[in-house]
Amino acid sequence: MTRAQIPFKRQDLPSMKGVIWVARHPVAGPQGITGQPPFIASSPSEGLEVLVALWSDASVTALHGHVDLGTGLRTALGQIVAEELCMDLSDVHLEMGSTATAPNQGATIASNSIQTHAQPLRCAAAQLFVWGLAQSAKRFGVSASQVSYDNRGFHVPDSALVGGHATLDNPTKGVLSWNDLIQEQNICLELDLSVSTKPSHQYRLVGQSAERVDIPAKAQGDLIFVHDMRVEGMLHGRVIRPPYAGVDSGDFVGKSLIGIERESPAHIPGLVGVVVQGDFIGVVCLREEHAEQAMRDLVVHWRDWPGVGSLKDTQAALSKHPSVERELLNEGNAQQAWDTASVKLDETYVWPYQMHASIGPSCALAQWCTDEEYQATGIRLRVWAGTQNPHVLRADLALIANAPDVGVEVIRMEAAGCYGRNCADDVAADAAILSKAVNAPVRVQLSREQEHAWEPKGAAQVMQVKGGLDSAGNPVAYDFLSSYPSNGAPTLALLLTGLIEPVAKVYEMGDRTAKPPYQYPNLRVRVQDMAPILRASWLRGVSALPNSFAHESFIDELAHQAHVDPLEFRLAWLEDPRAQALLRDTAHKAQWRPHSSPQEQGADPKDPDWLKGQGVAYARYVHSKWPGFGAAYSAWVADVEVNQVTGEVHVSKVVVGHDAGMLINPKGVEHQVNGNVLQTTSRALMEEVQTHPRTGAVQSLEWGSYPILNFRQVPVIEIVHMPRQNEAPLGAGESSSVPGTAAIANAIFDATGIRLRNPPFTPEKVLAALNSAHRAIPSEGANHGANLGANLGVNDWQDQPNQLAQNQNKNIAPHDAQYPSLSQDRNWSFIGSQLLKLTRKGLALASSVVMCLLAWGLYGLTMNPNWQQRVSPQLSMYGPKMIERGAQLAALGNCSGCHTAENGALNAGGKPIQTPFGVVFSTNITPDENSGLGRWSYKAFERAMREGVSADGHHLYPAFPYTSFKDLADEDMMSLYAWSMSQTPVATQPYQNTLSWPFNTRGLMRFWNTLFLNNPSPLLEPTTLDKQATQSLKAVERAQQPDDLFKRGEYLVGSVGHCSACHTERGMMGNEKRDSHYLSGAMVNDWFAPALTAKNTAPLPWTAEELFRYLRTGHTQFHGVASGPMAQIIKDWSSVPDEDLWAMSIYLANSMNPRAQTDDELSTMATVRLEQSKALEVKARGLDVGQRQFEGSCSACHHEGGGPNLLGTNAPLSLNTNVHGESPNNLIQIILKGCPTPANAQMGFMPAFKDSLTDSQVVDLVHYIRARYAPGKPEWTQVNETLEKLRQMPTNN
Amino acid sequence: MIHSKRVQLRVNGREHTLDLTPQATLLHVLRNDVELNGPKYGCGLGECGSCTVLVDKKPARSCVIPALGVIGREITTLEGLPALSLEGQCLQISPNESLPPLHPVQRAFIDAQAAQCGYCLNGMIMMTVALLLRNPQPSRQEVIEALSANLCRCGAHVEILKAVDLAVSYSQVPLKNSLSTLKPHEPLNPLLKGHDSAIDGSEQANVPGVQ
Repeated sequence: MTRAQIPFKRQDLPSMKGVIWVARHPVAGPQGITGQPPFIASSPSEGLEVLVALWSDASVTALHGHVDLGTGLRTALGQIVAEELCMDLSDVHLEMGSTATAPNQGATIASNSIQTHAQPLRCAAAQLFVWGLAQSAKRFGVSASQVSYDNRGFHVPDSALVGGHATLDNPTKGVLSWNDLIQEQNICLELDLSVSTKPSHQYRLVGQSAERVDIPAKAQGDLIFVHDMRVEGMLHGRVIRPPYAGVDSGDFVGKSLIGIERESPAHIPGLVGVVVQGDFIGVVCLREEHAEQAMRDLVVHWRDWPGVGSLKDTQAALSKHPSVERELLNEGNAQQAWDTASVKLDETYVWPYQMHASIGPSCALAQWCTDEEYQATGIRLRVWAGTQNPHVLRADLALIANAPDVGVEVIRMEAAGCYGRNCADDVAADAAILSKAVNAPVRVQLSREQEHAWEPKGAAQVMQVKGGLDSAGNPVAYDFLSSYPSNGAPTLALLLTGLIEPVAKVYEMGDRTAKPPYQYPNLRVRVQDMAPILRASWLRGVSALPNSFAHESFIDELAHQAHVDPLEFRLAWLEDPRAQALLRDTAHKAQWRPHSSPQEQGADPKDPDWLKGQGVAYARYVHSKWPGFGAAYSAWVADVEVNQVTGEVHVSKVVVGHDAGMLINPKGVEHQVNGNVLQTTSRALMEEVQTHPRTGAVQSLEWGSYPILNFRQVPVIEIVHMPRQNEAPLGAGESSSVPGTAAIANAIFDATGIRLRNPPFTPEKVLAALNSAHRAIPSEGANHGANLGANLGVNDWQDQPNQLAQNQNKNIAPHDAQYPSLSQDRNWSFIGSQLLKLTRKGLALASSVVMCLLAWGLYGLTMNPNWQQRVSPQLSMYGPKMIERGAQLAALGNCSGCHTAENGALNAGGKPIQTPFGVVFSTNITPDENSGLGRWSYKAFERAMREGVSADGHHLYPAFPYTSFKDLADEDMMSLYAWSMSQTPVATQPYQNTLSWPFNTRGLMRFWNTLFLNNPSPLLEPTTLDKQATQSLKAVERAQQPDDLFKRGEYLVGSVGHCSACHTERGMMGNEKRDSHYLSGAMVNDWFAPALTAKNTAPLPWTAEELFRYLRTGHTQFHGVASGPMAQIIKDWSSVPDEDLWAMSIYLANSMNPRAQTDDELSTMATVRLEQSKALEVKARGLDVGQRQFEGSCSACHHEGGGPNLLGTNAPLSLNTNVHGESPNNLIQIILKGCPTPANAQMGFMPAFKDSLTDSQVVDLVHYIRARYAPGKPEWTQVNETLEKLRQMPTNN
Repeated sequence: MIHSKRVQLRVNGREHTLDLTPQATLLHVLRNDVELNGPKYGCGLGECGSCTVLVDKKPARSCVIPALGVIGREITTLEGLPALSLEGQCLQISPNESLPPLHPVQRAFIDAQAAQCGYCLNGMIMMTVALLLRNPQPSRQEVIEALSANLCRCGAHVEILKAVDLAVSYSQVPLKNSLSTLKPHEPLNPLLKGHDSAIDGSEQANVPGVQ
């Protein structure tokens, strides 16, 4: 490790030895220019700002106030310093952004770090070198011009030395190292900006590509990112945000909390604190997963908030929004020139709200310092943050800490790329509040949903342009008005806690690149400054990107009107020769096809659906306070293909010209340009923030609802670098994104003749434009597309309530909240509704029935003798084989599924089972003498199992399926008893059922039993038993007879397996219906248990082999995976022997599917289905919002080939039973709850999407999945209703 | 109250004894208990891929996997790649001998400069490792498919695709002899050192690793 790599603080440097450093006095201004991003000066008490420190080991610490946002700035600055010092890049270590170390150079914005803010560092390095030369010359006794430097040190030719002797203190003849010069001294030089820096023709590092210095550490998982910071005693924090997602101004901000239920997260281990200040809520736990759970489980009550109004029509929303008009330019008379123009255009361009969408949600660590430390160091609060604006953040944190600025230290660490202000500062403030509250270090990680919802957005923008041509086709007027609702997005926690007022400031940032680059003799440029609607600040390109989109679209429209090639037209009116050269070279490289009207060429003669087009655009990014100054120049030529049938746009190639003057690190700039091209393509084609139709709250909370470009959509990129190594460097971080959207829009125009003025250019937008232009579309494809569209586009998604707000409200009804978990496997809800109906129809009749039942019940109570024993049964009576068999049967009967409470002891009961009559708690079936079965005789056990009567004589409720167990063979009954008694006894308190009268009268069950218990066991209608198929079964290989297996299956299904308890519809009295209803499918706690008969709706038939695989592993190739209650049952069946599962499979398959297909036959059928499904995919691509949601949210795991091969089964959805069922219940359940505990771990795990998708997004997704993967099936009609119902269910059910 | 289970989790060839509740995702445990930085939290929904690790050499989204669901399986993270490549046929030693050895895919990503902010880099590297384990010479289309659900916001896609091409070529380099320089992984969390020898997995019943 070199000395430069050892961290130090500015204040310590003056007392360190063996170092020479260059410093400056803190820059006093510019103190906050109105309407511009804030600048907060350092305090003079912080001492001199160090720019560069050179250590005696010839290593160099370079310090810079800006930060590396993934742009490679660290490397480029290192090159600059190494260049001036004639060193290697590896000799230079960069310290960036930390307030106690680096100089204050303001925020890292506007691509300005190299162009402007590298200069002090360059000068400082040059100063050191000049000092080194001078010192060496002095000691050598020569003039400085005779001294040269190489990696050994400063030296002079022998001939220049006086008498040919080395200096006294230098043992090596004619060479002085930095160590020789510095030794143990501490030398400070004041920055001199007039120092001569190295002339560019002498550069050997600058201008040469260097490898990024940070990538090796990142590729190996070293500590680089703030997310990876850990300190001793660190706790984990999470925040809970208010329902006004993504809105940060208005009276309701900071004042919407009604209250929290403090006890609601009491069940969470290691909960350290719940912090509430105004609308700020945070939780702190010892472990991160528990902090996450506390975030989800904390019950919070919010007031309704008024909303900011619909943002669906962006133009209307902005036109209503208060604004201040500011005229920037007025040359000639634009209005009059337009009035008299030969060709007049009046066009409006509308830009959507867009996101940074950083790939990692923001994170920060805060450490509230002890009083002792504060006294000793003056540091009250230390925060590790991924900020782009350390000193402004420090001032915010000082407010929270109630300390002076210098009492707060911000340590800048890397974060996921942001392209302006994301939530990095917000989370730092969150962490500070929590750390202060619990007096311990707290790391806070925002969720994906919070980052998406709350990051300051790239603002929507409306550009109105009136312009025209004279009779000769020359431009005569350009009247430009831009509206941009954005400001600096104050740090959220300050607003939520009320530390600052939620008053929306108006910034003057809509003027970036507001002046068009073309010569318009009459030119007026105005902006309407306005406060934000949604929380917004600067996102890559700021207002320049939309402004330039308007300029570059409009010039194309003028060229079209003038019947001139758009490239030629631009070149004719472009003022700057440097821009002209760039545009020419770019077009040349792109093999520009001159045209004066849309070419509308077919992309591929074999596929007439696709048209291709070429578009051009140019921009120089002009930023900062008007009139601003220019960063790099950029030009694009985009090649696109447009599908006339689906509206899909594919950017196939981008040739991008770039003139950034001198390039410090050409490879680094190239990567920046590539990144800008891809991000802009993504923004142009796909990106728009979804908002609530009424309130305007942000509804894009994950990647499905805010899709970004992926590897499938990457165009070919060719870069044209202009050779300008002798010019000044120009900012390259954003410029090449600025002209991109217009180039794509212009290319779409060339391909189709359709002018799009409202990105993103989604397929539905393109299609709508194509259709409104009455274009001829090949009939077959059109019909197909239209049909699918009709299938898919049915949802009135605009009218869904804001699910985010609902979730965060968590207004759970008290009676639901008190039961942490309800039994998943009895279909009582249906019965409840039936019973209610009955009650409403005839209360009188019902009450008389109840009286009769009551009488019968009282009679019943007197009839059952108490069979409890005084002494526990002797386990030795039963052999281990019997106990083992009993254990298998208990597994098959899934006893533990009902008799184990969540997080409770195995089989000790206490699980609440919701019935329409109230809640029944399962009993303790361990052999505990007092609370379990310990004193039950075999006779008592058998009576309970066959008759539903407990040992003490009271009746059990048929939530316990004795109606099935009654058919158990004696030997099996005995085995179950033996197993029960062999368990470890667990003592429990009695569980109190909460049944309402008259259902709390157990004796009534006697009547019920008379009606339903003694029915003969139902049998499935046997179909032809295909012995041919069963010949192949493994069980047969074990010399068992298929007929025997069949009979055994029938027995297991009907008795211990009690399949009918779920798979059979129930009557009004909670009884299983008979005859054709038997095993014909039923709704169980809002999961549909599919029919185990010929009524089964699976797309491919079930065979015995498939059933066996399913029951054994939880998934099959041809039918998908087990989910919901069945997943747990299959898990419990892991100890059931193959023979039993085969027997059940053979029996059930026999009734489900008479024609037992072989696997080969199934495989053929599956192939046909998958091909059909694939064909649909190709035709449907891009048509539907549900499809985009699916691709972003689901397709990583669910695809039919053509995607990643991830852990898990990825059973094709087009073969999935749930997707083909009659009700959407199971599909919605799985989307909401996921599958965190699958039947077997090989299947993979699915997350719950309930907090990430709004209702409308779930509905779109469900309709899409149904239409896409079950094409022959009718559209589900009850999706909204079912979703609403399932949303109400307790979250942990 | 939620109860924890004492389990053993095998990560990068070492057993870690941990007390976990069902809420702990594999990602939480790798980052907070095993103190690894490679896998990153990106979405918690399995959508973006920045949390990718290998489970029995298959790529998996550790943010959606309960840690208790992968007990008994072999977890490999970015940090475990150099050791993983020892098992295979190749290892690209860093040109700079003072640096630790790298897996050829790591080397390729560095050489292709295939990152901007680098937050997605873990996922890109892990997916590529998994792809090349399954298919040593994938076509461009197969590479795109394998990476299609790994999101990069900065737009490093072009460099990443080049890195995969490089990785394919590096993976053809025969095993070098200088592998003896590779040291077995040190436990990253010193607190875990004591537990490592104390627990012997042989006593576990039914569910491997669960006491």
